[in-house]
Amino acid sequence: MTRGSPRDFSRALFGAAALVLLAMVALPVGWLVATSLSGPHGPTLENYVTLFTDPTLVQPFIITLESSAAVAILCVLVAVPMGWCVARTNMPLRRLVRVLVMASLVTPPFLGAIAWELLAAPNTGFLNQLARVAFHLDRAVHPFNIYTVAGLTFVNFLYTFPYAFTFVANALERVPADLEDASAILGARSAQTLWRITLPLILPAILAGGLIAFLQSMTVFGSAAILTLPAGFHTMTTRIWSLFQFPPKPALAAAASMPILLLTLLLLRAQQLILGRKGYVVVGGKGARRAIVALGKWKWLALGFCALVLLNAIVLPYGALLDAAFVKVAPAVPTPANLTWSHLHFVFFELDATPVALWNTMILALGAATIGTALALVVGYLVARRAVRGWQLLGFLATAPLAIPSIVLGVGLFLAYTRPPLLLFGTLWIMLIAFVTIEFPAAYQQLVSVTSSIHPELEEAGRLLGATRLRVLREITSPLMRSGLVATWCFVFIGAIREISAAILLFTAPTRTIAVVIYDLNESGDTGSIAVLGLLLMVVTFTVLAVANRVPIAVTAVEEFRE
Amino acid sequence: MATLELHGLVKRFGGVTVVDGIDLTIPDGAFVCLLGPSGCGKTTLLRLIAGFVAPDAGEIAVGGKRVSAPGSVVPPERRGMSMIFQSYALWPHMTVEQNVGYGLRVRNLPADEVRRRVATICAATQLEPLMKRYPSELSGGQQQRVALARALVVEPQTLLLDEPLSNLDANLREEMRFEIRRLHDEFRYTTVYVTHDQSEAMATADLIVVLNAGRIEQAGTAEDIYRRPSSAFVARFVGGANVLPGRLAGLATPFSIRLEDIELVAAPGAGAAGAVRGTVVRRVFLGSSRDYVVEADGELVRVTTPPHVDVQPGEPVWLGFPPERCHPIESVPAGGS
Repeated sequence: MTRGSPRDFSRALFGAAALVLLAMVALPVGWLVATSLSGPHGPTLENYVTLFTDPTLVQPFIITLESSAAVAILCVLVAVPMGWCVARTNMPLRRLVRVLVMASLVTPPFLGAIAWELLAAPNTGFLNQLARVAFHLDRAVHPFNIYTVAGLTFVNFLYTFPYAFTFVANALERVPADLEDASAILGARSAQTLWRITLPLILPAILAGGLIAFLQSMTVFGSAAILTLPAGFHTMTTRIWSLFQFPPKPALAAAASMPILLLTLLLLRAQQLILGRKGYVVVGGKGARRAIVALGKWKWLALGFCALVLLNAIVLPYGALLDAAFVKVAPAVPTPANLTWSHLHFVFFELDATPVALWNTMILALGAATIGTALALVVGYLVARRAVRGWQLLGFLATAPLAIPSIVLGVGLFLAYTRPPLLLFGTLWIMLIAFVTIEFPAAYQQLVSVTSSIHPELEEAGRLLGATRLRVLREITSPLMRSGLVATWCFVFIGAIREISAAILLFTAPTRTIAVVIYDLNESGDTGSIAVLGLLLMVVTFTVLAVANRVPIAVTAVEEFRE
Repeated sequence: MATLELHGLVKRFGGVTVVDGIDLTIPDGAFVCLLGPSGCGKTTLLRLIAGFVAPDAGEIAVGGKRVSAPGSVVPPERRGMSMIFQSYALWPHMTVEQNVGYGLRVRNLPADEVRRRVATICAATQLEPLMKRYPSELSGGQQQRVALARALVVEPQTLLLDEPLSNLDANLREEMRFEIRRLHDEFRYTTVYVTHDQSEAMATADLIVVLNAGRIEQAGTAEDIYRRPSSAFVARFVGGANVLPGRLAGLATPFSIRLEDIELVAAPGAGAAGAVRGTVVRRVFLGSSRDYVVEADGELVRVTTPPHVDVQPGEPVWLGFPPERCHPIESVPAGGS
């Protein structure tokens, strides 16, 4: 439905937003494609030939696919029972389990990987030391080794299963009890009902969760870089990064980005197909209640299972980081004798990089959150209200960055902005563009749903009573959207302060961020400072999250929209 | 003066023509109901009048001044109209008082006059004790009153209502029907009321406009529409009449007849001359009446009788069609039941 007169300001806004979005997506991807097809002597397919013949490029591809598939399977195997326990049983401490799962969702994988270095590095790893003492093993024996494909798979699993968990738990909460009661009344035992009714109903959610887990671990850079480099193998993302090390081969890097880009597109399309099948997705009506299963004595087993997962994802890693931040040489059992403030002092008062990185991170996060939210508001509003012709195009452009993995975007931006007229490489601008692009789709989707929850008749009522479109936006729409806007801003902010995949290709010494500094320090093995910076990052994250959670996201729309 | 004139109004969404050539003049101060099934274009027509939608052809004039034509639409805020939405559209972040006073504040009236006029309208709509409440703290009927007060406080020349009673329960609906008519008679603005409920339309309107597939099927008083439907669609939609094949002056002409106008007797010769024999297919006891479905000459005929007329399904009956109750229909457009 088109509204408003032809001279409405929404036309101009539409044009501006469309241009910005187009530049955001088309520029890096265009340069990526063009560069991948170029050689020293003009257009060529040489880069692609190298890509498929050079074993040092093929091997990372295979490792990544194998590891990601394993992560996806592990995630589903863990997320389904855990989601069921939390959403549909009387297991004790369900709320706490859910909160801790969310905590592992916001833990950057690179930080998790560093923590697991402290825990399971072959020689110094805390768990290895513990095992040697407990079982009187030889110094050369190490039961755990995180620097392996299995170790990488394990760490990626710990920080991607929350995606699958969220899908499954939400789907389980939406299965109306009626459907299960109908099965019970026909004589099915609860296990049969679970197997034949409930699980098939949430199968799309399970598959989608698995796909997202695959996608996440395929495109992750931080954890892969930390665990693969000491081990001497590569994943696709670390291999792309290595092509930027001296001597840089940007054309090959561009070609190497293509498989990830195409796979991502394919997987997202598959996910859409799975989730979009009509009649399969359960939509609970207003009164739909969900049945809670009493587990009896089994509830302790269920809790034990959840606890084991969270022990590995949260308790041990954060314990290790805290330990490293406050003991002299980590990892070690903290005693009054080996506790120290020296790491804290070093990071905040001696390390040259800290003030610059802190300043850059804050500026970038504030800028990305503000610009990203504002742009998402304009685009989300225009699309949700279908306020302009061509709103479908805007919606498509706004979600397109989802299909571009961060590291690929990093390559694209590097290629796009290292040449005139837009010489942005080495400035904070290029990082800002990267962060806004990466976080934009999520912000956009959130604000579309916030706008949709505000009944258009609320605005029309204002118009008919004599208020102009702008006045309605100011006095009616914005107050109703305020909480949604604050939440969106917070999420972009959190996303930006932890971003590393694109930043690692785009930073220069003056534009380092905290995440980049942590990564640098890891190469020099300074675990104490890393732990301090990592914990600082998480303190900021949790503070912002707490603020976001205090603002209720739900907006009261009077009635549901009929048309 | 707020005489509302619609000339050749057309609106398409995508490839679908939703409003298909509407011509209608609504005199100043009249109460008009746009009546039709869902999807007939009545809500779109209302939104065209309000100025939320631009027409693809035709024009709208208010008091002789053109307000809508393709490519030039006076925006809603400059039309001097008010509207009651189906959802009420009360702003959840404003109290009753703030909601009602909004239109006056937009007009930059002095604060004490805003207060005075809000108090007056709230008294007229029995909202005084609720002025400090938020919409979420009100019942459906109270929200409806707030929507009315907010629309009327600005003294509109035209009031538009979009299915305003569909979210209320049956008792309240009846009460609000009369309230809406009473306020209309008190303030004498032009009212355009959209509904799919024929009893709502009959209870309130001076003029009923029956819409089907974007066109006007018939416009007239409640009596006209009910007694003399001009098409099979109107006959069926308003009160559910039978539309049966018949003969007029030797020509095959369908005619309509009300359920209660057919005479049903259980014995031959007891009723009117020329009665048709049929068989009872279904019988429902409704307390004050009985509803029958009778098969006669291959047609299914619905008949309402007094409750004491009691014939078992499968038994023969004779149906009489008093000629003065049969209304010939010229053409039989598709649709409706």
